[in-house]
Amino acid sequence: MPMSLNRRGLLAGTAAALAAPSVIRAQAEPIRLGALNPLTGAGGPYGPSMRKAIEGIVEAVNAAGGIGGRRVQLFGEDTQTNPDAAVRAARKLIDVDRVAAIMGTWASAVTTAVAPLCWESRTMLFTVSGADSITQLPHRGFIIRTQPNSSLQITKLAEFLGERGARNIFILAAQTPFAEPNRVILEREMPKYGGRVAGQVIYDRDKTVFRSEVDQALRARPDYIFLNGYTPDVTIILRELFRAGWTGGKVAPAYAVNQRLLDSLPAEVTNGTVTWAPSPDVESPAFKRLQALLGTNDPDPYSCQTNDHASLACLAIARAGAATGEAIREHVRQISQGGGERVTDVVEGLRLLREGRKIDYAGASGACDFTDTGDILTCPFRYEIAEGAKLRTLRIA
Amino acid sequence: MLSDLIGELPQLLVNGLVAGTILALPAIGFTAIYAVLRFPNFAIASHATMGAYAGYVANVWLGLPVIPSLLAAFVVPALSGMACDEVVLKPLRRTGPLTAAIAAVALTIALENVIRFVFGNDLRGYDLPVWRDWRFDLGFAVLRVGPQQVENAAISVAVMAMVFLFLAFTRTGKMMRAVADNPMLAGIKGINADTVARLGSFMGMGLVGVGGMLLGLDTSIDPLTGFRAVLSVFAAAVVGGLGSIPGAVVGAAVVGVGEELSLLVLDASYRTAVGFLAIVVVLLVRPRGILGERAF
Amino acid sequence: MENYLVAMAVFAGLYGLMALGLNVIWGMAGMINLGLVGFMAVGAYTSALLTVRHATWPIPLGILAAVLVTATAGALVARITARMRGDYLAIVTLGFSEVVRLVAANEIRFTNGTDGISAIPGPWRGEVAPATFNLIFLGLTALAVLVVYLVCQRIRHSPYGRVLRAIRDDDQVTAVAGKPVLRFKTEAFAVGAAITGFAGALYGHYNAYIAPEGFVPLITIYVVLALTAGGTGTNAGAVVGAVLVVAFMEGTRFVVAAIPGLAAVQIAAVREFLIAALLILLLRVRPQGLFPERHIRHPVPDPR
Repeated sequence: MPMSLNRRGLLAGTAAALAAPSVIRAQAEPIRLGALNPLTGAGGPYGPSMRKAIEGIVEAVNAAGGIGGRRVQLFGEDTQTNPDAAVRAARKLIDVDRVAAIMGTWASAVTTAVAPLCWESRTMLFTVSGADSITQLPHRGFIIRTQPNSSLQITKLAEFLGERGARNIFILAAQTPFAEPNRVILEREMPKYGGRVAGQVIYDRDKTVFRSEVDQALRARPDYIFLNGYTPDVTIILRELFRAGWTGGKVAPAYAVNQRLLDSLPAEVTNGTVTWAPSPDVESPAFKRLQALLGTNDPDPYSCQTNDHASLACLAIARAGAATGEAIREHVRQISQGGGERVTDVVEGLRLLREGRKIDYAGASGACDFTDTGDILTCPFRYEIAEGAKLRTLRIA
Repeated sequence: MLSDLIGELPQLLVNGLVAGTILALPAIGFTAIYAVLRFPNFAIASHATMGAYAGYVANVWLGLPVIPSLLAAFVVPALSGMACDEVVLKPLRRTGPLTAAIAAVALTIALENVIRFVFGNDLRGYDLPVWRDWRFDLGFAVLRVGPQQVENAAISVAVMAMVFLFLAFTRTGKMMRAVADNPMLAGIKGINADTVARLGSFMGMGLVGVGGMLLGLDTSIDPLTGFRAVLSVFAAAVVGGLGSIPGAVVGAAVVGVGEELSLLVLDASYRTAVGFLAIVVVLLVRPRGILGERAF
Repeated sequence: MENYLVAMAVFAGLYGLMALGLNVIWGMAGMINLGLVGFMAVGAYTSALLTVRHATWPIPLGILAAVLVTATAGALVARITARMRGDYLAIVTLGFSEVVRLVAANEIRFTNGTDGISAIPGPWRGEVAPATFNLIFLGLTALAVLVVYLVCQRIRHSPYGRVLRAIRDDDQVTAVAGKPVLRFKTEAFAVGAAITGFAGALYGHYNAYIAPEGFVPLITIYVVLALTAGGTGTNAGAVVGAVLVVAFMEGTRFVVAAIPGLAAVQIAAVREFLIAALLILLLRVRPQGLFPERHIRHPVPDPR
């Protein structure tokens, strides 16, 4: 380390040494990355495993000698699922820790609040937020979003529901920025398959009882109910549907009906619930590694995505040979798409890049190919069905 | 249209009453603490969550059935409520009731995070079968009623009955009422205000804890379980009259039914607002709530 | 680091403004207001809607409109709640702020719903470097705090302020003395709400983005704690308390980062616990706040 260490550098260095004593102490200044996840508040059920998925990649990279001999140092903060708190946390990551990228923001309000800070300070922002408006911000390329936008997501859902013969779909939606766009797109898409949207109830997801909302849905006599919410509220509604004697179809995003939800409800309540999410190929090694890392058979889609955020950031930095937000922005598409050797592991990717080869990364969340505005291009989706408190893959298409 | 309305009404009323009975226990707890200590103890949110988790540990980790688990859901928050009041809030009440109320908010954030530290954020469910609803054909409408909800409501009513019997017939209960009605007079009569205060926190937070577990039986639990219900609980207590225990029951029914009936005219996403509209309407007519502030 | 400190100073200033507003309502006139964040939201939305979504007014006009609208809202709330006692007022105002949040989330055509409003203009934002913008805004915020502070000091030491304090200490006696208590209460509430709305408008122009989820009761709690910790009734206490609260919120980040062997969620839990515990501790050590009001107080009778 240089002799002209200031106090901040000394502190950071000490913290780094404390955090990873077993890792090779790189000679150069570490590469700084930020994780900004919902650890408390409404996003709390998701944040911790999103963070672990990031930490796993950073540990793997450091264990393999870092990037170009430089260690990766991860700085973590909590969004508290609140834009006000998230902005302050992002300021700290950007101005104090001087991170090159912020990874894993959840909740559209949080992401939209943090985004201007990122593009103004030329910091890359990787997010899982679903609202369409996010990639329409004037972000100058500094946003990559791994969650498919409404259009892609719902088109895929409509296609699948159409094939399963759904004719009359009712939507029970938590109040989120994507609730309305999702309905509009489903209404546009379903007629192509001879179906329609029978109606929608938008509910307040802070309530604890949704009996009457479920009654409203049942009165429309649908054959499928689309549960467009998050785990806490979807748990309550699934139980309510069972009690009401509902035997028709149930479909929900995979982040809502995840393994934790299945574990917290009796199997007969969840049986038959269909989920869908963007997906890597069958038998994807990246997905398998994440399963092992998180100790679960079914890592939720958000964790798959943040796992890829970290891999993409590391590979782009390696490709660029510089650890800045701009370097990531310029090079992230060069390692994630456009041909080259197929890579699913960040460490292998780093090795190939060292050898001067071109790579095309595909991770636990899917192909990771992005449009110019930062949205994911079309990708395969995984359709699963809950059976006996486990998810069984129906198909990947 | 009108026949639709008539068809929906009975179901909404039943749903509202069921929701009201669950709301009633924490509302009684909140109002009982108010009656004895004369400040709104906003720490009920985390104590409801604590009750839900205590019940969860008893039910899932120790394998106890629901009823004994409810005892855990009472005792743990009751002890915590008493201890927190003694250590944190009591010294602040001398500065003024609102300082204590505000410290109680900070306290609830602190306790929520103790729970988060120990249990994490993952959703947890009780070890409990789920039954299909019973259906009753009324001719103009089909009514569905859930066995679990009936059981929860029955538990809630039974606990309420115990509270009323305790306050009406035991010496300690009478002491508590005396302090609530007139602390000065009670003091002259030689009732130890400190003992009664501790008892008030113990019983109040215990009831809040049981309410939290009943809530959890019907949903799933995480560190925000109590927080989600707390606004409706405040509304119920205020509508009924802060400090009035029968008032809390009436207020819970009003808020429970009101939130359901509002679905006829308002979007479901406005439901949280209903409790507060109820407060404003009731307080404009009766500034001390429906039943006033006499404790009992 | 400098940039971060500047940004946090802006946040402290905005919280300080709200604490000053609360001090007029609560500290001087004795009405608790747990709906502070609701007025902040009304101010932020008014100015944002007028400068970017529904019109393109210049920022100062938007802020002026925000002040007027929140003053009106404050007067209305005060009229409706005039007869309510403290504890009721606490819960009703809390409800008011939740209703504001729900309206902002649900009336999509008017407010853009949960998507929020982005690209709210800020003074010279985009024309100067982000760090310079930050400094400019800090200057503006400091100026705003100073002006509002002086106005509040003026109110406090004027005969008007004495009437407010008299109402706080005993409104019946004040009424008997021939003061129009309701009018004073309404005006105090309106002034306090207007200051809060002013802070809200600045907040929107600083962050460039507002959304309903940003206006949760937690912000009210922080401001109330700031005022209580600083010293209810004193304007200096309001400002110092706000600085202290922001220092707690930010300082804890660096403290918990040094704890080894904990999962991320546990670190987050420790941090929120610490913030709450520090505030409780401060209340315990100095129940009257760091800057207690200096005047003869009759001891408050033990509430039990």
